Amino acid sequence: MSGVKLTNVKKSYGAVEVIRGVDIVIEEGEFCVFVGPSGCGKSTLLRMIAGLEEISAGTIAIGDRRVNDLDPSQRGTAMVFQTYALYPHMTVERNMGFGLLMNGVAKSEVKAKVDKAAKILQIETLLNRKPRQLSGGQRQRVAIGRAIVRDPDVFLFDEPLSNLDAELRVATRLEIAKLHGQLQGATMVYVTHDQVEAMTLADKIVVLRDGRVEQIGAPMELYEDPDNIFVAGFIGSPKMNFVEVKGDKLPDGRPLRLSGSQSNAVATLGVRADALERAGPGAGTIAGEVSVVERLGDAEFVHFRTPWGQELVARFPPGAAVRVRDSLQFALTGKVHFFDAEGRVLRDVAMAGNPVAAEA
Amino acid sequence: MSDAALPPGRMRQSIFTPRRKRFITSIVLAVMCVIWIYPLIWMIAASFKPNSELFTNPGMIPNRPTFENYGRAWTEANMQRYFFNTLFVTVGSVLITTIAAALGGYVLGRREFPGKWPLMGLMVFTLFIPQGYTIIPVFQLLTTLGLGQSLWGLMLATCGHSIVIFILLFAGYFTQMPRELEEASRMDGVGPVKTFWYVMLPLAKPIVVTVVVMQSLQAWNDFLLPLVITLANPAMRTLSVGIYSFKGEHFVDWGGMMAASTIAIGPIVLLFLFLQRYFIDGLAGAVKG
Repeated sequence: MSGVKLTNVKKSYGAVEVIRGVDIVIEEGEFCVFVGPSGCGKSTLLRMIAGLEEISAGTIAIGDRRVNDLDPSQRGTAMVFQTYALYPHMTVERNMGFGLLMNGVAKSEVKAKVDKAAKILQIETLLNRKPRQLSGGQRQRVAIGRAIVRDPDVFLFDEPLSNLDAELRVATRLEIAKLHGQLQGATMVYVTHDQVEAMTLADKIVVLRDGRVEQIGAPMELYEDPDNIFVAGFIGSPKMNFVEVKGDKLPDGRPLRLSGSQSNAVATLGVRADALERAGPGAGTIAGEVSVVERLGDAEFVHFRTPWGQELVARFPPGAAVRVRDSLQFALTGKVHFFDAEGRVLRDVAMAGNPVAAEA
Repeated sequence: MSDAALPPGRMRQSIFTPRRKRFITSIVLAVMCVIWIYPLIWMIAASFKPNSELFTNPGMIPNRPTFENYGRAWTEANMQRYFFNTLFVTVGSVLITTIAAALGGYVLGRREFPGKWPLMGLMVFTLFIPQGYTIIPVFQLLTTLGLGQSLWGLMLATCGHSIVIFILLFAGYFTQMPRELEEASRMDGVGPVKTFWYVMLPLAKPIVVTVVVMQSLQAWNDFLLPLVITLANPAMRTLSVGIYSFKGEHFVDWGGMMAASTIAIGPIVLLFLFLQRYFIDGLAGAVKG
């Protein structure tokens, strides 16, 4: 088993640069998720690790081998495709053993490996079926089984859950997490555009945008301490609220007392839905009129419209007596993030005292 | 006539109930079928009539049914030999055409290479050249290669008839196959040749069947090319050319000709009966593609 190291990796199609110098270190046995909006280059990056796309510049190493010029089959990777890519005319058993059989591995050995993988994935009863006789979730398992049979150092998953329905997606997500535990030491690289998948599965998340790494870190690190406004907005559901700040004032002119050497540079304030709390009349920092209330059972997301016409969202405990068109005041009780005009986080800026407490 | 009292518009509707429409359609189709199949039936019927009865008995059932025509055609007119010549040319050309077209179509459908589109254009262009114009050059080419007087030469020349269409048929089919299948096989460490043979070709079964059927028909029924190539060498004749030789200068052995024709179409009918389902799938798939 081995890790993966990308050093200044670039990829361009003609004049168009799609990966612009990426450095990532994935430790052995780590579950690393590439996440980003569509078109950010995350799938291309994965395919470059797999060897299905050539690298324009930089180095990719798996373990301590430089694999830039190695054939996909010699890199010690196995890939699970978004569309499963099962061979439609072969049975599940042959699908899983095809690669080994074609490379001259003895039939009995292939059978043993296939059976072992089938047992891990609980698909022993499906071995004689054709892919079209399987449900989406079963096909996904077979595709994973085909990867396991190859006994790779690195598993590569290219949006493996996006063809499944919502319920199955959650179930399969759990299965993959369990699988990572079962396959001790297997390094996994997983591409998704769904930040919930990234948060729940990853040991390490790589957030990508426009072919560049925006931030690398553990899920909670990215959630609680994003490097920039893009990561702050991308990670976490619902999306972080951003409010423009001009000269220590909110757009409606309410003052914002900040401390810290960089407080003059603050251009945007970011606050998550659970860091907004309802305050008494006239006591809040942000005011708004409720436009939609989403009741999820364990929480209620109250969307409200600020006086300057922006839609923000606050998380309320269940059973909150909030109705549409109520006028509410919100205090900033949790962590507040500050960003400069370029969108970079300003870590030494903080709220100077609680404005709610000050005015109460 | 209880609905005679109804207004004319309603009455017209009631005449063409869906059932009656189906009935009328069936009759029309049946009539067309009979017209279509009549020459075939006439041929089979005539093959069992002695020459003396052929034009005196206009009915379909022979008065004195006989196998004499068949015997004469099979041995005296050398149909036996022509049959195996045709079989050799057909089987050989089907094998070569199918494999060559599948390989060519695979490359054109799935790989990018310089000059691909001019090549495709050139291939399509050849479709517009009538066969008659190419026969002499083809014959000359075979003679240069030393194959002008052999069945192998005839077989090779027969391969060329529709290979362009077959290549395009395969190319179109392979183009629409998902890229991931090949990539998965590449990740599995399976080389391009094995990927073609074990993954792509089995998936192209409908096209393979279509090509097999179409090429069989063409090779089996081909007339002009074998006529020219076998002019100097009657032993190499195929069935269609052999049948033509029943037409002598002063006398036509109609009975023998009909028997020989019946022998000639037998295998084709059998082939179609076995493969028709796949054949129709393949054509429908090609149109959809």
